[in-house]
Amino acid sequence: MELYDRYAGLSYAVAMRVLGDPARAEDVVQEAFLKIWTNAAGFDPKKGSLRTWLITAVRNRSIDYLRGRGAHERQELELQPDLASTSAHSDPWHEVSLGLERAAVREAVGSLPAEQRQAVQLAYFGGYSQSEIAGITHVPLSTVKGRMRLALEKLSSYLLGRGLVGV
Amino acid sequence: MSDHEELESSVAAWVLGALEADEAASIRVHVEGCATCQQTAARLGRAAAALPLEVEEISPPARLRERVYVAAAAARASTVPSAPARKRVVPARGRWKPAASIPFGPLPVLVAAATVVLALLIGLAAGNVIGRNSVPPAAAQVARYQLVGHGTLAGARGTVVNLKVEGVALVDFSGLPPLAKGKVYQLWLITPGGHPDSAAVFVPDSNGGKVVLVGLPLNGYSQMAVTAEDAPNGSPAPSQQPELYGNLG
Repeated sequence: MELYDRYAGLSYAVAMRVLGDPARAEDVVQEAFLKIWTNAAGFDPKKGSLRTWLITAVRNRSIDYLRGRGAHERQELELQPDLASTSAHSDPWHEVSLGLERAAVREAVGSLPAEQRQAVQLAYFGGYSQSEIAGITHVPLSTVKGRMRLALEKLSSYLLGRGLVGV
Repeated sequence: MSDHEELESSVAAWVLGALEADEAASIRVHVEGCATCQQTAARLGRAAAALPLEVEEISPPARLRERVYVAAAAARASTVPSAPARKRVVPARGRWKPAASIPFGPLPVLVAAATVVLALLIGLAAGNVIGRNSVPPAAAQVARYQLVGHGTLAGARGTVVNLKVEGVALVDFSGLPPLAKGKVYQLWLITPGGHPDSAAVFVPDSNGGKVVLVGLPLNGYSQMAVTAEDAPNGSPAPSQQPELYGNLG
């Protein structure tokens, strides 16, 4: 249960951010941890950290609940390489390093222009497709694509500048 | 705009999970064969993976840890190939009515011998197929049902979380009144034909709550119900009308 104790708060927070429903968030977190434990053999550390695997599972299942659709009907968010510092610290530094990462990410996201921040948040936490976001925000699809690209490029540069992304 | 430019313009959406399934498949194929887009996807993907860190951490309810712990233990148990198959309890008496007739009518005192034999055969056959599968299914699925209290258990509730993948269910009880001395709560699974199988025996905590693991797949059952029975092991068949029950589906 060490994994649970370490990441339950973040997992639950992500599920709540997407769903806004404590009961469903609990179900999602439980299911995500079970998925990790029952499919541990499928975990490839080259593709990302255990934390990212877990949070990706929480996000994907939350979106399934939110949008009422199965994984076969939409794109599953795939496991992405993690922030470089995640696996570089031993346990005593875990909380400190996680705190630094989170502060940097908040600052980076907060520094984005509102429309770029909205585009990536609607996609990641809302589960909307780029076409849907274009409709919601009343802008052309090409504009949404540009906003997402710019937001992630800025976020990447910001985190790279702080030594948090191992590019 | 070339095909490459067109596809590259959607790489950001791809790493954010913001494409329809067919669009994502096209991008994936392109990225696998395009070094430039691979680099772009890797760079943007790391940034996308950082997004959840902006969320302020929230401590989940303490009971969630218990739920996860129990479910994890059950899942681990389910991967042991030599784990014995669970056998259903064949009731010595009693035949509960199916969902359409809840609340239940008077329990029959006697059961015809033919019915007992039939129930025994069904129980044995079911016991042979309820053995745990050592290979977890590919897709996780969870279903939820509610148990509602009536009468003396009017304030009680139960939330059934059916972990279809693991072939187990968790029932999260709340509002259960304290038991009389020498009694335990007993959880029953009921077939559409009214055949009750004992699923668990438990005593709630001082707050009237309890998370109970049901180590049986819920397939083939239409209802779940709770009665108070004799401690410590409960009864082979329900001795009273249930006052906390609900439909499974």
